[in-house]
Amino acid sequence: MAQYVFDRRRNNGPEDSFPPVFDSDLRSVASKSEPKPRKDRSPLDIRPIFLQPGLITQATGSTYIETERTKIACAIYGPRQSKNTSFHEKGRLNVEVKFAPYSCQRRRSPMHDAEDRSIAMAIHQALVSSVRLETFPKATIDIFITIIETDGIEGCVAAGSIAASTALTHAGIEIVGLVISCSAAIINSEVWLDPTDEESSSSNGTLVLSCMPALQKVTSVWQKGRMERKFQCMKACQNRSDDIHAVVGQALLEAAR
Amino acid sequence: MSVGTVLPGQPITLPARGPAPQLGTGVYERDGQIRASLLGAPHFDGSTLTISRIQPHIPVPGSVVIGFVTRMSPLQALMSITVVDGVPLPSGEEFTGVIRIQDVRATEKDRVKIGESFRGGDVVRSQVISLGDARSYFVTTARNDLGVIFATSEAGVTLEPVSWQEMRCPKTGKLEKRKCAKPLDMA
Repeated sequence: MAQYVFDRRRNNGPEDSFPPVFDSDLRSVASKSEPKPRKDRSPLDIRPIFLQPGLITQATGSTYIETERTKIACAIYGPRQSKNTSFHEKGRLNVEVKFAPYSCQRRRSPMHDAEDRSIAMAIHQALVSSVRLETFPKATIDIFITIIETDGIEGCVAAGSIAASTALTHAGIEIVGLVISCSAAIINSEVWLDPTDEESSSSNGTLVLSCMPALQKVTSVWQKGRMERKFQCMKACQNRSDDIHAVVGQALLEAAR
Repeated sequence: MSVGTVLPGQPITLPARGPAPQLGTGVYERDGQIRASLLGAPHFDGSTLTISRIQPHIPVPGSVVIGFVTRMSPLQALMSITVVDGVPLPSGEEFTGVIRIQDVRATEKDRVKIGESFRGGDVVRSQVISLGDARSYFVTTARNDLGVIFATSEAGVTLEPVSWQEMRCPKTGKLEKRKCAKPLDMA
């Protein structure tokens, strides 16, 4: 728990609070070490994706994405004038990620923490090579990603990258290709795509691959833990990214009609 | 020719016969392949292949912009750009443009006075001439169709242009000096 500081800009509640612990939680802790097999999908399946561009009317471009228990809203503002920066010939891309306090099992503080920043950096690295920054000199593009519900950090990075790339296209910003992300975990030497929070915590290592299927190029690889078969993992992610690209393309074409 | 809507990154098929097209907005070339970088239907503007963009975009040199004067000094007038090439920018995302004293008109540049050309709050049509500095674009009103298109008098009434450098208040009859824009339907 962080050091308590009185925040004059918020209503301050109790200094400390803890979520309740249920009997069923205590019972399931004992059997947590063994990962449970997946019930409703095979290891190489991903969760179904709902993707809808254009839900936030104030934003230049916006997207809402849902993959079962991961729900993310993304808004793009800009290109707009930079503030307090020097002259730069190319545009700039800013990514800000925010978890809603109610988005996790345990309540999150409304303040930014290290996890927000690391996810923002991962998404920024996935996107920045796909945006044609030279088409908007001196201006910046701000991407705001709000995570409404989360089921695993890897799923957030992957879904957030897909949502941001779709929103960039919806905003009319020139990009080299759509960026599609897919996450994977190694559990008992087997590749499981699109892991949930429970599967991630019981795995040896996790990986998030971002690529542009149209150009067959990889933009970012984000890995944690110990991976025994990285390239097999990346190949599985890349194959699945082609399918996700079709879903994203279909959603964009329907929104444009 | 016009194929259907393409996604960013999608290769664009061109007619087999014909010269290589020039690339406009929304398309790019990589590894010898012409691809789209916007969502839309590619089409030809003369010999330029382009994908039109209907969303707000930043000013580029040559853009005709509309904005209102926010601040004036003896050497320049600052304006807030709210419309770029006919597309209004979202609220709060305006750009800053600077009309320098030498860019107000094409004739008698040494006799120009900023106070006799613009007032705070005037709506001005101008054209971007360069990216300018870190904060603002350099714009010009040196053409006949550029200049003040809407202004209010000291009495709060809309002024009527009577010549290229004068506007009259319909309420008091007083003449005020402005660098007026020629109406587009008079071209």
